[in-house]
Amino acid sequence: MKTTCTLSRLGFLVALAWGLAPAAHGAVFVQCPGDSNQDAVIDNPALHPNAKCMHLSGGDGFVTMADGYLQYIFGFSDLTGVLPEQAMSEGMLAANFPAPTIALKQGQQFYLSLTNAGMAIRPDLFDPHTVHFHGFPQAAPVFDGMPEGSIGINMGATITYYYNLIEPGTFMYHCHMEATEHMQMGMLGSLYVDPIQNRTGIGGSLAAPDLSTVAAKEGGAGPYGYVYNDGDGSTAFDVEIPIQLGSFDPAFHDASYTVQPLPFAEMKDKYPMMNGRGYPDTVNSASLPPPIDPETGESANGGKVSQPVSSRVTATAGQKILLRLSNLSVTNFYTVTALGLPMKVVGTGAHILRGPDGTDTYYDTSSVTLGGGEAADVIVDTGGAAPGTYFLYTTNLNYLSNNTEDYGGMMTEIVIN
Amino acid sequence: MTKTLLRLGHALVAALALGAGGASAVVDGITGPVFNLTARADYITAGDGASLLAWGYAPDDAHPGHFQDVMQYPGPTMIVNEGDEVIVNLKNALPMPVSMVFPGQSGVTTSCDSATGGTPGALTCEAPPDGTTTVTYTFTASHPGTYLYHSGTRPDLQVEMGLVGAIVVRPAGFDEGTNRTAYGDAGSAYDHEYLFLLTEMDFQVHEQVAINLMAGLPPETGVNTADFTSEYWFINGRAAPDTMMAAGAGTPWMPTQPYNAMPRMFPGERLLMRVIGGGRDLHPFHHHGNNSWTIARDGRLLESVPGSGNPDLAVSDFTVKVVPGNTYDAIFEWTGKGLGWDIYGTVALNPHTCTADTSGFDVVTREWCADHDKPLPVVLPNQQDLAFGGFWSGSPYLGAAGALPPGQGGLNANAGYFHMWHSHAEKEITNNDIFPGGMMTMVIIEPRVEGVTIP
Repeated sequence: MKTTCTLSRLGFLVALAWGLAPAAHGAVFVQCPGDSNQDAVIDNPALHPNAKCMHLSGGDGFVTMADGYLQYIFGFSDLTGVLPEQAMSEGMLAANFPAPTIALKQGQQFYLSLTNAGMAIRPDLFDPHTVHFHGFPQAAPVFDGMPEGSIGINMGATITYYYNLIEPGTFMYHCHMEATEHMQMGMLGSLYVDPIQNRTGIGGSLAAPDLSTVAAKEGGAGPYGYVYNDGDGSTAFDVEIPIQLGSFDPAFHDASYTVQPLPFAEMKDKYPMMNGRGYPDTVNSASLPPPIDPETGESANGGKVSQPVSSRVTATAGQKILLRLSNLSVTNFYTVTALGLPMKVVGTGAHILRGPDGTDTYYDTSSVTLGGGEAADVIVDTGGAAPGTYFLYTTNLNYLSNNTEDYGGMMTEIVIN
Repeated sequence: MTKTLLRLGHALVAALALGAGGASAVVDGITGPVFNLTARADYITAGDGASLLAWGYAPDDAHPGHFQDVMQYPGPTMIVNEGDEVIVNLKNALPMPVSMVFPGQSGVTTSCDSATGGTPGALTCEAPPDGTTTVTYTFTASHPGTYLYHSGTRPDLQVEMGLVGAIVVRPAGFDEGTNRTAYGDAGSAYDHEYLFLLTEMDFQVHEQVAINLMAGLPPETGVNTADFTSEYWFINGRAAPDTMMAAGAGTPWMPTQPYNAMPRMFPGERLLMRVIGGGRDLHPFHHHGNNSWTIARDGRLLESVPGSGNPDLAVSDFTVKVVPGNTYDAIFEWTGKGLGWDIYGTVALNPHTCTADTSGFDVVTREWCADHDKPLPVVLPNQQDLAFGGFWSGSPYLGAAGALPPGQGGLNANAGYFHMWHSHAEKEITNNDIFPGGMMTMVIIEPRVEGVTIP
């Protein structure tokens, strides 16, 4: 004990020498400017106009596959607005799939707190968690969440990541701890950053915005939004939806649930999904009901909604739809098409499709192929399309299935009114 | 993870001290333009310690950093100059015919054309399994860039067995000391270059071939090449954590896998990634740290005006979609621009200055000056609440080592920034059911301090 104390004091002194005041050990500790009660909500946003806070928990939980199968997962849930005293109980068994979508703006300082709520179903596990902001530019390891070169957060404690957002685009995020396992288990979500052009308008500045082209999502008279700082409005859109491709191997999840050796080499995904659901659940505009344990007929996770994200897209003829596509499958590349609708790719890898000197490399296509860790910004112009229901689906046709159910999988609807 | 990587410790530190086992400023390889190779069989080591029977091209001659007459996986990287007439002489000590094809090279002639050696095969001239016949392939390296070569005889089986390698064609005017470019233009200029030849293996094929040979059967007997399922994934012929071991003689227990994949750079430098899809599968190669610009594919600059030397059609991305048979040249840079805090700590913690050039960067101290002296905006958790990576220095600051609990860290000799570069199909960062491993390595962004050099 004496040795431990001495070493702890040594660490404390070194931390002080580096100017780091240590937090209380083993406690939920949310850091957010102007937030007096640590609920990750800024008390007076006018005092911190460029700060953005969020509080996630990492833990386990359950979801329901489109064929009705109960699936054990690891995942994140949103604790923003929850007081620290309640964070552990609210975060336990609360895993969502996909993880809560993180929507940000260029120019913000983003304070992301992650509390490790532990594994309620697997008390034998003591896994740390991280958030990897996938694609963050000029990243430093301390906030990259890649645990081999950085740090992970242990159960019952909180780490706050800091991101100064200087690049817009479609990113993604996931836990990088024991990446193959934690990602197959579902710790995956969408993340995107709106461009500053939304607030400046085309050619304007924050001090002197061009009001006629400021994005409608920022209260302006322009289009709903832009994907990038294009300077010419060529990435404008009217409707936006992040769609994250992914897939689960039920044998892996069941092995985790039943405390068996995990089949890494045999891993084969059989539940292809968009935003955490297979068709036809993808087109359900509402949250899916809390998962039910078929053995007991009761809620598997204390009645928590774990699949709130729909993939149904609705637009009015003539509107431009922005599909923020990403893939976080740990096994497969997927190709998707929007049958009958034109697709224009204006960005990949959270970067506008322009060369180093600004040369335009946008391209028109009818399919986009993404491997794990890839993202694309696709604008679908419905100008020439007749009203009706169109489908966005994978052209890897064997993945239009929900395990043994042969009609479903990676497909959703684009409804044009 | 920590336990698995701990055995890296000494080898990695040795690798850094030795400059990656004698590696020079350029990718490891052998220079031509005449190459004498023999296809041979031997064993390679997977990341979990398994031994796999493999076939590879062995250099017949002595080359620095290589083992003469020892089969290697991948085959020797052949480094030639634009305009060279390249001559490859191949002999075959394997139990079946073998050959070489050179995708992306035109006008390849062979000794079959002149009836001076070898047997015409389906794709190219083949060397019979006699150990003595020499087959010769000749072509002019007409375009600079990154290419691959592999067996053109039963490539479905023989590339799986290991008969694949890389070719680097230097542009006219290239100079290792004063003019490092991939294509002769400013857009492809770089400070350091590294190869990432991505392949995979199904160990059951290798076991089947070994069993066949012991039984006196033709090696391909009963091998179903349509039904491959990989369990091992490699960068430059090694599976993590071996990717981070020293190259060549620096890791003497891996003579058949002499190449490592240990990219290093200082902030503000340009790192050329030469990425090759050398196997059967697509791999999304995700490089943590920053986007890269893919400036060339298949040995051709992405330029709207051919021959302009301006890669204006380059694509920025955080993941390179590596397709089998394709090659990619990408420029990776890292400055720490815009992080919002000083990567070297505040001046009070660590006295240092920053003098910006026209871009806002200090090329001496390697700092982005707009963030100079800004404190880290958050407090890090206590040690008791953290799990530590082996490559974590104990400090968020570049070049600063912090206190770590006993047994933690220790693999970061210079307190650099380690970023993982890996297949983002995470199934592929395992070694036959064991995590971590496979198609994974780290880049090290090193602090610019005395004693830290990168060749």
